[in-house]
Amino acid sequence: MVSPEAHSDSTTEPGSPWDGAPYPVLLTDVQGMVVLSNAAAAVLLPAARPGARLKDVAPAWLSAAHDVLRTPGLEASRPLSGVMGARSFEAHPSVQADGSVVWWLVDDTDHRLVREALTVERERTAFLAEASNMLLSSLNLGRCMGVTAQLAAEYLADAALVVAPSRGRRMPVVTSLRGASPTTKHEAADPNDVPGLSEALRGFPPVPSRWIDPGGAPRWMVPEDFGPVGSIVITPLPGHGVPAGALILLRRSDTMAFTQNEEVFAQLFAARAGAAMSAARLYAEQAAITDVLMQELLPPTLHQICGIDFAGGYRPSADHERVGGDFYDVHPAAVEGEASLVALGDVCGKGLEAAVLTGKIRNTLQALLPMADDHQRMISLLNTALLTSHHTRFATLVLASAVRNGSDVELRLTSAGHPPPLILRKNGTVEEADTSGTLVGALPHATARTAALTLSPGESCVLYTDGITEAKGGLTGDSQFGEDRLKRALGQCGGMPAESIVEHVQMLAAQWVGHRPHDDMAVVVIAAPRTHHLTAVSGHTRGRFTS
Amino acid sequence: MTSSPNRLQDQGRIRNLADELWQAVQATDEHTATEVVLRALEEGMEPETVLLDVIAAVQGKVGEEWADNRLTVAQEHAATAISERAVAALALHPAARTEPTRGRITVACVDGEWHALPARLLAEVLKLHGWRVDYLGAQVPAPHLIAHLHRSDADAVALSSSIATRLPTAHAAITACQAIAVPVLVGGAAFGADGQYARLLGADAWASDARTAADRLARGPLARPRTNHQPIDDLPHLADQEYTMVARSSAALVRTVFTGLEEAFPAFRDYTELQRDHTTEDLTHIVQFLATALYLGDTDLFTGFITWTARVLSSRGVPLQSLPPSLGILAGELKDFPRATHTLERGINALGPVPPPTTGNLA
Amino acid sequence: MTTSPSPYLRLTTVDAATTVRIEVNGDLDYDSAPHLLAVVTGKLAERPDLKDLHLHCAGLGAIDSIGLSALLMIHRHTSTAGVRLHLEHRTARLERLLAITGTLDHLTTVTTGDANAPADTAQAKPRTNATPARLTGPDSTA
Repeated sequence: MVSPEAHSDSTTEPGSPWDGAPYPVLLTDVQGMVVLSNAAAAVLLPAARPGARLKDVAPAWLSAAHDVLRTPGLEASRPLSGVMGARSFEAHPSVQADGSVVWWLVDDTDHRLVREALTVERERTAFLAEASNMLLSSLNLGRCMGVTAQLAAEYLADAALVVAPSRGRRMPVVTSLRGASPTTKHEAADPNDVPGLSEALRGFPPVPSRWIDPGGAPRWMVPEDFGPVGSIVITPLPGHGVPAGALILLRRSDTMAFTQNEEVFAQLFAARAGAAMSAARLYAEQAAITDVLMQELLPPTLHQICGIDFAGGYRPSADHERVGGDFYDVHPAAVEGEASLVALGDVCGKGLEAAVLTGKIRNTLQALLPMADDHQRMISLLNTALLTSHHTRFATLVLASAVRNGSDVELRLTSAGHPPPLILRKNGTVEEADTSGTLVGALPHATARTAALTLSPGESCVLYTDGITEAKGGLTGDSQFGEDRLKRALGQCGGMPAESIVEHVQMLAAQWVGHRPHDDMAVVVIAAPRTHHLTAVSGHTRGRFTS
Repeated sequence: MTSSPNRLQDQGRIRNLADELWQAVQATDEHTATEVVLRALEEGMEPETVLLDVIAAVQGKVGEEWADNRLTVAQEHAATAISERAVAALALHPAARTEPTRGRITVACVDGEWHALPARLLAEVLKLHGWRVDYLGAQVPAPHLIAHLHRSDADAVALSSSIATRLPTAHAAITACQAIAVPVLVGGAAFGADGQYARLLGADAWASDARTAADRLARGPLARPRTNHQPIDDLPHLADQEYTMVARSSAALVRTVFTGLEEAFPAFRDYTELQRDHTTEDLTHIVQFLATALYLGDTDLFTGFITWTARVLSSRGVPLQSLPPSLGILAGELKDFPRATHTLERGINALGPVPPPTTGNLA
Repeated sequence: MTTSPSPYLRLTTVDAATTVRIEVNGDLDYDSAPHLLAVVTGKLAERPDLKDLHLHCAGLGAIDSIGLSALLMIHRHTSTAGVRLHLEHRTARLERLLAITGTLDHLTTVTTGDANAPADTAQAKPRTNATPARLTGPDSTA
């Protein structure tokens, strides 16, 4: 390309062929001496005249690149780049046959600026993606506030505060200092004392971010040991129709103040944080409403009442639900010495709709408690209360009145169209209570027959819904658990505490169905507590393992 | 107060109390059980010691006695209920009253886990350590757990599982909690003797017992997990679908083995309904453990289960000679699944030669 | 005529002079019961001359509470229309369900419209809310 003879004297000649090149060009020889520099190179590096040492006249990165290139085995593979003056260049070497090198210097300043801007944007996008990820993962308001403050302190400022609109006199404030865990406080402060804060918290009308004078910031706004505050900006957190709060960003006086670009970016982040926080707030409100309504429908926790052990267990048909069409209640006797009333039943249908009907039945039964000693009358009145011309949605249930008599428990049991309760006797036999009747809520008249019996200490009475006995499973996958299996299992439960009988039955039914779909399942056990002197019974009884 | 400086004397006292409680528990005597526990507190014993060195020790014995066929499943339930009542009595005693000074922890059992007592003991121990504890009890479906966490903003979840076959479910629960950035500490026999399955399933921490769990949580908060974790990353071998296949067709596999055994052993056809139920149960367990071993990619889990089953059946006087053919039939059914086949072969080898039957009965 | 919108319930309807026979094959449950009810209601409206409705139940599989509820509703409709309902060839399972729920007599005692009148008028008329002890009003959503 360039002959050795040619370049020795062509350098000073104006109009060298290199002068027309659009880029600065330097030709250096094997020793690193400048041999030629074209017009553009002369403007860029005026000292790089032929005969000068590249080391003396070129920036260090370029002469270093030259050395690397001259060292065998250290082939520079990609364009090298660095700054010259106010601009930056990529150096593209091309090695000649005689060992001299032509350096093409390409101005990549604009390119580099664009690349840097791209990197910043990528980082911001990645940050926003991570922020969204973290914010969306939780539906807990406190957690969303914590995440918002922490992310903001990590990427946007030296410290960040998230203020939620207060419900009472105190404002919930989460403070996060970079590198530390966020802390939550409830500040008894008036947002009106901080310019822009109350507007941001009100959420309407929309307000832009607002700078406030660091000197005028209230004490609660500046974290302890923060040092002198350089700048503070308050950004509203836009919610979905409800104000989500405000984000306060603080920078120290030795940190650069917020640029406009950063402020815009902070708003993008605030939009995501605000959306997450208002979703969390809505979820919390919905959850609170559901909790209140659900409280009425959830089965109660049972325990010993008036010297009688009660235990209950409930498994709705769908795992994600907590209520269904089965129900039970225990109403303690109003007067000492009278019977407590147990009701367990099953309404036609499933899910929340059925649960609402169970609520109605439970309320009705509660109202009928004054006549709890007359099961037939209760059932008849309940039937009338539920009867409507619109449908034949019915319920089946068992009523049990239980009262302690010495160490025995006297029981009266009435089934209204429900599988009769099972009685576990001390000798291990399992009896069906002799009661039957019509279901309630569909026929013009409901009648029932009551069974009266006595439980001795250690004996129990098991009330259950057909979700247990009709559970499908077993070897074929569609055989019912059935009354026989239930009775056999109960035969092993003599003398057991009420809650472990419930648990045992629930476990067997659950194992029977495995992962198959099943109906709601409810079990209630009424047990006559064992008296203390009987405790030696059967502790060492060998269990049968029949196989 | 009788706080003795003599450790040996203390240990002797603990042993005596555990013996007394054990007597009461196996006699289903709630009154005495509660009385033993409250007396220990009155005498100045630390509530944590009573929970972990007396009640938990007794409960461990309940499990052993069951495995050795000295307690039926029903009696095991009864014994556990008595222990639960003793824990409840302890929790109400003034000696156990502790003001919450630390963060909030949710304690729950994996869905399908019926053994709630270990989780209950942990909940009480954490309360004693000043944590605010939400105890959700036995078999908590993941949707309930997650809904609870959204509402409560717990610092961590302590998840308990005693049965290895619940590990796939536990994995789903662990990743669900982590997806909402709540770290998970796991414990219970299911996670392996040295917590190997806890690590495999990506739990944030593992504790061998309640004391270790409390110590771990006291050392400092568990780091919030990253939310972009994918469950499949933990177990890349799941890509071969062998687990999915075995888990989904488990009922059919059990039926096939049952039919195969009927052909191989005519005595099977005379089985009572109860015997058939038991056999179905045993076979279901085998298939569940096989599926779990495939899920975890751990053959030892399966061989461990098979040898344990052999021991339990022997202690119940049940002959074992149907066990190897059962595994053989399964291997035949699953011959297109290399991991399953390999696992079953290892199971058969682990059983070794099985003595011939002395009666017509089969496992 | 055979209709089967549900894969689990197949109904075959045979019309005769003053009778209709519907053969029920399959499960009568949450998903399929409304279909049977719709078919019966349609038939009652279409055949004012009808005297007897026979539900042939030999092919009935599983029946759940919604299925029983549908049978009770059908009985209400037939009573109102003066049609005798016959539940024929009842399976052991159906028989047992009707026995436990105390509905066997109600659904299977075939009476003339008159004998059934006092009871049925109470439910057949649009509700007059005449029952004094009634605690809750008619509730179409319950």
